[in-house]
Amino acid sequence: MRSSLIRQILILAALALIPGLGEAVYFRQKISWQSSIPPSELVTVDQARTWAGNVIWVDARPDEEFARDHVPGALSLNEDRWNELLPQFLAVWSPGKKVVVYCSSLSCNASREVARRLRKEAQLSDVFVLEGGWEAWFKKR
Amino acid sequence: MSKTPNAQLSTSNVQLSGNASTSNVKNRTSNILRRIVDLIVAGVFIYAGAIKALDPVQFASDIDNYKIFPWPISVALAFYLPWLEIFCGFALVGRLLYRGALSILMALVLMFTLVTIAAKVRGLDITCGCFGHASQNWSFPSHLATNLGILAALVVLWVSNRSPKPL
Repeated sequence: MRSSLIRQILILAALALIPGLGEAVYFRQKISWQSSIPPSELVTVDQARTWAGNVIWVDARPDEEFARDHVPGALSLNEDRWNELLPQFLAVWSPGKKVVVYCSSLSCNASREVARRLRKEAQLSDVFVLEGGWEAWFKKR
Repeated sequence: MSKTPNAQLSTSNVQLSGNASTSNVKNRTSNILRRIVDLIVAGVFIYAGAIKALDPVQFASDIDNYKIFPWPISVALAFYLPWLEIFCGFALVGRLLYRGALSILMALVLMFTLVTIAAKVRGLDITCGCFGHASQNWSFPSHLATNLGILAALVVLWVSNRSPKPL
């Protein structure tokens, strides 16, 4: 009885592998296996600085951290107050401007989430995530 | 006037057949109820799996938010787990590989519950990726209650289906 149960589990596990592998091939261009952010959506501090006046900095950290310090001219846009802050951001945004979103450090997720929502919900293109986040910018300022 | 032996026999036969038909009705009712639970649980997993299979990028990101696995493992799980849920759901509907499907689903729900609790303990503010965007604003208690409810249904199905169906 136990061997029959194990056999059933193995059959189901193997069956699920087939479409799973197919999907991995289908989505290979849309997802990176190395980093949670595709390289085309990442930008370094040096690269972002070359965009000079053509960039809007977006601070995805919580309000307290933004209040403490932030990239000069950056707008606060975090998920806690998304509905309240998004209109303020959209009022400043104009087509052709690049958007660079940052959070605390290399390991934080907030910038990735905010960038994703800006692309998906606000239908913006040219939205990038700052590699290394606030820490990287702070070191190079 | 006392009944003849034949009359007594026929009375006890009537009682026996009455008991048997009551027990048949009970069995049929419990089978129908079990089937309903089967289909509800299967529907939940097929729906949850399909939603995640349609957007594996988002699901990988949801898994990554738990900060348990490195990114490549999150991606692999995002491609694999939704299909495992879908296949197990269909196995419950078709009653094929039935106990295998129940075992996998119980293990998955247990794992989801444990990682949710672990995330809460570690102070991570995560969105539940269980049902895609539909579950994005779920609170921790509702997330936990859903998981425990599904787990309870799976345990009921496991216990009430003692005799395994052949492959």
